[in-house]
Amino acid sequence: MKIDRDEARRIAGLAHLEFDDDGLVRMAGEMTKILSYIDQLREVDVEGFEEHDATVTPMRDDEPRASIDREKVARNAPAWRDGLFVVPKVIGGE
Amino acid sequence: MSDPETSLAAIRELNPKLNAFIRIADSVTGTRPIAVKDNIVTTDLPTTCGSRILPNFTSPFDATAVARLRAWGAAIVGKTNMDEFAMGSSNEHSAFGPARNPWDLARVPGGSSGGSAAAVAARLVPAALGSETGGSVRQPAAFCGVVGFKPTYGRVSRYGLVAFASGLDQIGIVTKTVRECAEILGVIAGHDPLDSTSSRVDVDDYARDLGSGVKGLRFGIVSEAVDKLEGEVRANFDAAVDVLRRGGAIVESASVPSIGYAIAIYYIVANAEASANLSRFDGIRYGHRSKRARTLDEVYFDSRGEGFGAEVKRRIMLGTFALSSGYYDAYYGRAQRVRAKLRHDFGEAFRTFDYLITPTTPEPAFEIGAKTEDPLSMYLSDIFTAPANLVGIPAIAVPSGFDRGGLPLSLQIMGPHFAERAIFRAADWYENETGYWRTAPPIVNVTR
Repeated sequence: MKIDRDEARRIAGLAHLEFDDDGLVRMAGEMTKILSYIDQLREVDVEGFEEHDATVTPMRDDEPRASIDREKVARNAPAWRDGLFVVPKVIGGE
Repeated sequence: MSDPETSLAAIRELNPKLNAFIRIADSVTGTRPIAVKDNIVTTDLPTTCGSRILPNFTSPFDATAVARLRAWGAAIVGKTNMDEFAMGSSNEHSAFGPARNPWDLARVPGGSSGGSAAAVAARLVPAALGSETGGSVRQPAAFCGVVGFKPTYGRVSRYGLVAFASGLDQIGIVTKTVRECAEILGVIAGHDPLDSTSSRVDVDDYARDLGSGVKGLRFGIVSEAVDKLEGEVRANFDAAVDVLRRGGAIVESASVPSIGYAIAIYYIVANAEASANLSRFDGIRYGHRSKRARTLDEVYFDSRGEGFGAEVKRRIMLGTFALSSGYYDAYYGRAQRVRAKLRHDFGEAFRTFDYLITPTTPEPAFEIGAKTEDPLSMYLSDIFTAPANLVGIPAIAVPSGFDRGGLPLSLQIMGPHFAERAIFRAADWYENETGYWRTAPPIVNVTR
């Protein structure tokens, strides 16, 4: 599988990662090399083997319980005001 | 050495050389010194995951494994160095610089739990927690000449272990001896309501069979992994087989036909899950937020672009690709199906054998810088360890001697799901029979 710069840019967009042009070219080359190794999986006969096994992760009961103390959450937040996370304006122009 | 103050003094003395700890506790409560990998959260020390994206995060809660250790009397003396987000096999992908191998400071301690392995090997702590996704406890334990153990998937709660690949991650243990490892597993194992994937299988008495020998036990040599090996690693492995046979074990050739695909499966499955798990590092709720970001999109792109290192970005990119529309079936779907086949092959082998054995790593510790320019060659360092994670079985790395250059070598013993007690029995016998654990690295003798 060959990854070119445009494909690397598309994937970086999906992954929310910023790269400069040189970084994208380097990443495309590395991904191509790694994927060419991974492509050996194509030769395996997987007839009869499913993508998901039958085990199901059990869920705990949906009961209210004490959550993390807000003060402690605030301590780790990059921007926090009046009990809320602060982010740049999402709706409308500047 | 078993009291926290002695341990802290030793850490302060040797850490400038080893860089095994990212953070050292100023003072501790508890009586049993233990180090914790810096992707397992603690309320009294920050957690960085070895990354610039978490420059000053302190968890509001303790990981369940940490809470259980504290209740047992553990003193958390520090947080150990690691490859960023546990992605790496050398510790060189740490934002805090590489930890160093106590046997040779020019070499890597392995990874990603390299700091934990180096700390135990240098006798700074008797035990350390690490984490495993593809061998991140066993591989560094092998490189540093100590015991490294990965429990069955689900055996130990992962609440408070920062998620890398949730279908593979397990908390693991590094110790000097197998007995200490069995004791600590007894403390941290068991169901936890805060981790739905933690197993309800009863916790065993893991030390019960220690001292029972290996007579009549059946060991299978994974021929697809071992046959092509040459040189000192092969000779060392053959010697370990001889030791087991002299103890009365039955050691024969076993076959796991799909084992050679483990690394290819691993780098699709693990990275796909990582790309989803690491989306939480977005500059909003915790961690680094880019100073230049003006819009919400810039907060995401720039914070992650500045905060994540090269290897983490590489893996997020590969994982995002494998899950993206048009490639999902060919990559993620296919990798999962080959993984099902691998699980089947292991199951078949365990119908004949109590244990499957290989060397833990294909080579001893390599020099710092030797593989950083070639990610694929770094990945292949986990070729013998990654299968146990993909299959979910327990496995241990136990010291098996030294190469001509004095670097540690290691034997890997794998068992069926929840066969922890049986693994400790065999590993403890081998350890006592050979006694390699008694040899400390020169740095310990020189300085203390």
